[in-house]
Amino acid sequence: MSGKQNSAGKTVFSFLRNNTVPLMFILICAVCIPISGFSPSYLLNEIITRLGRNAFLILSLLIPIMAGMGLNFGMTLGAMAGEIALIFVSDWQIWGIPGVVLAMIVSIPFSVLLGWVCGKILNMAKGREMITSYIISFFINGIYQLIVLYLMGSVIPIAHGSIKLPRGYGIRNTVSLLNMRQCIDNLLAIRIEGVKIPVLTLLIIALMCILIVWFRRTKLGQDMRAVGQDIHVARDAGINVERTRIISIIISTVLAGFGMILYLQNIGNLSTYSAHSQVGMFCIAALLVGGASVDRASIGNVFLGAILFHTMFIVAPKAGAVITGDPMIGEYFRVFVSYGVITLALIMYEMKKRRQKASIGAQLALAQKDDDRHEPGIGAQPSPARKEVERHE
Amino acid sequence: MKEKLASFVASFGLPRLIITGFLLALFILAPIVGVDLPMQITNVINRFSWNAILVLAMVPMVHSGCGLNFGLPLGIISGLLGATLSLELGFTGPLSFVMAVVISTPFALMLGMGYGVLLNRIKGGEMMIATYVGFSSVSFMCMMWLLLPYHKPDMVWGMAGKGLRTTISLEGYYDKVLSNFLQINIGKVSIPTGALLLFALLAFAMWAFLHTKTGTAMTAVGSNPTFAKAAGIKVDKIRMLSVVMSTWLAAIGILVYEQGFGFIQLYMAPFYMALPAVSAILIGGASVNKATIVHVILGTFLFQGIVTMTPTVMNSVIHTDMSEVIRVIASNGMILYALTRRSEVSR
Amino acid sequence: MNNKRKWIFRGCTLLFVLLLAGLMFLVGRGHTVYIDNKTLEYNGESYSALERSEVWINGERLSKLSKRDRTMTTTIGNSFEMKLINTEKKGDDPTEVVVKLSLPYSWDGILVNIPGYLAGLPQEAWLSEFIIEPTPMEEDAEEPAGEDDIPTAEF
Repeated sequence: MSGKQNSAGKTVFSFLRNNTVPLMFILICAVCIPISGFSPSYLLNEIITRLGRNAFLILSLLIPIMAGMGLNFGMTLGAMAGEIALIFVSDWQIWGIPGVVLAMIVSIPFSVLLGWVCGKILNMAKGREMITSYIISFFINGIYQLIVLYLMGSVIPIAHGSIKLPRGYGIRNTVSLLNMRQCIDNLLAIRIEGVKIPVLTLLIIALMCILIVWFRRTKLGQDMRAVGQDIHVARDAGINVERTRIISIIISTVLAGFGMILYLQNIGNLSTYSAHSQVGMFCIAALLVGGASVDRASIGNVFLGAILFHTMFIVAPKAGAVITGDPMIGEYFRVFVSYGVITLALIMYEMKKRRQKASIGAQLALAQKDDDRHEPGIGAQPSPARKEVERHE
Repeated sequence: MKEKLASFVASFGLPRLIITGFLLALFILAPIVGVDLPMQITNVINRFSWNAILVLAMVPMVHSGCGLNFGLPLGIISGLLGATLSLELGFTGPLSFVMAVVISTPFALMLGMGYGVLLNRIKGGEMMIATYVGFSSVSFMCMMWLLLPYHKPDMVWGMAGKGLRTTISLEGYYDKVLSNFLQINIGKVSIPTGALLLFALLAFAMWAFLHTKTGTAMTAVGSNPTFAKAAGIKVDKIRMLSVVMSTWLAAIGILVYEQGFGFIQLYMAPFYMALPAVSAILIGGASVNKATIVHVILGTFLFQGIVTMTPTVMNSVIHTDMSEVIRVIASNGMILYALTRRSEVSR
Repeated sequence: MNNKRKWIFRGCTLLFVLLLAGLMFLVGRGHTVYIDNKTLEYNGESYSALERSEVWINGERLSKLSKRDRTMTTTIGNSFEMKLINTEKKGDDPTEVVVKLSLPYSWDGILVNIPGYLAGLPQEAWLSEFIIEPTPMEEDAEEPAGEDDIPTAEF
């Protein structure tokens, strides 16, 4: 790409530019950690816990990026599917690890349905996928509330009054998941010096990573990458673009459902109406912090982002309280940083796109000039495939 | 005959038809189920007067091709700064409203210009980035509301004396200052003439502007930027102008909203305020690249009508308040409908 | 040929998943078991409570029950095993009894009466469903806020 000339300064500059967000975050953490005054073992424990809790959710974002759908704000839909499954499993009194497994299985049909709907709508809004998926998550949240707040308990049978609202139908604001709390985390946990390592959870995450790597090599995975690179070229190559895109969203939604169940089993408590909305935004922020962009994300981004983002999340409130004497400052600061990082990443992505288009235009102009001079091949590099479907977001 | 009907439905839009039908049904149902119709009509008109200017703020940016202004919170923040500073500086009564407008204007201009510069550098990705710029600035201001040196006892937390309260009452300041101005009462329906007059004034000004040379240039930039550039129009400058106009209108809009509502709402309140305005103008018939004053009026009326009538009527009929859920589904569904329509113009 | 293989493969996966779900249903059913050391009246006969009964589960002592005491524990799955160290009257030597029960699937709460069990009575005498009377709960916020969620708190 542009900027690759021999001077080391240019390489450093382009490294800085490509990795602005993670570097900024490292800086913020480096400043805030000592100020906050947390002990290293506390921090380590918190980070490992949060990594185990969130990594699976963040991993679910990788597939749509691969398929060119941008940041999947619709992962909230998968989270909602997972929550509905957990409500049912809770009501059926299935506890422990079997409960978690059952919830995952039950969440699949919901996730597939929601993912299919989301994918279909996104196909109708090509070029605007991100803002559309963002609005879809709000829209389906309304439908989720319709189901959970009104239909459950009345039309949909819920046996236990303890999870229903006093009025007789609708689910309570919080549903206790005490009977499956940390069942997966604790099963093979190792405790070293006050740090608890949830081995089974991490194994599951590692398994997921391996699956993703394997998936990239399958035909379906290759199809998705082709669609992500250039829709028109993929279509000409015979790939059913619409279907592939929908499948990528469905897979992402199902994974988000599983991830949400893992997340909730760690917390042990379901905030029925607010858990999923925070999840979408924070996971995307974490992925971006790890250096991912709207069109490229790797497993490394997932883990780096999870660690950096959650470190900031832990230390910011305390640091803010120490600096200004008001604990709320730190809380707002971490919200601000989360949104700010997404804004920054989106801006940088757009600007990079425009730079690419400008450089392609310049190359074309150069090629024309050379053609005019009848000199074969010099400077006339074939232009890389252009994204003809521009993003209007 | 059937063809005419079909083409009417197609141009009016099926979702819009559904929403209008739903609202009509609510109005008809209301007296039957014992809802106080004159009071509800007053409520609808009142809410219309509060929100219309915020919806109007969408128009310039749609015309210039910047899409729907999801970054409305920036303008709202300018308005909030104007309001709080006006109160802090000691103004009361109707003068506080005027001063709020005066003080928010430079903020709106500054923030609008910065926002415009940003949008010009990222043509094509405006809507998504605008959303997050809005969010980031609201959360940034959350920190600022706590830190900025405000002292008026009406506005700060009692105990510490530092940091603004979440909601500040406007009694004694400009509560209802426009609504009560020239208020007309017909039977039991009271009309907030002052606020409606201000909206009419601004709407007329917008309409007139769009017919001036600069205004037509703006429309040209939105519908066909290549042509506009070829015709010698400075695309970036016009886009910047539309963003500043939108931001300033949003500032005025929130001030009018506050005078109707009676409170200044800080911290996280402006967070999601873009969405109702966006969905209102879409319900009124606008699309991502086309919006007229008629859309503003129709859309605000329909949206606020649904928001007002649904809870009261539904409550009387099935004794449950499903209004929140219905509002979420209807307004977001409307935005989805607009986003999934193939836009007529491509860039 | 390829098509058929695809559908067979999908059918088998579906079957496997359904069977797994069914298995989870059985294996994961949670119950709360309440254990009583109370005098039981049955068919006119009275079976008196023990002086003392210690309940041991999984090698750990759950509770020491005097007369008229009750303890509780949670368990997952169909079978329930506990060890009782009973002292029938004051001064007796303690005796160990291993109790293996299979719990009825549809009951959430299950009440076991020790004297009745030890007397060898039919199951219906000492095993019954325990239903907690629903107390009117205080619900602080009924209508959850929609889009007005403030993104803070636990993550």
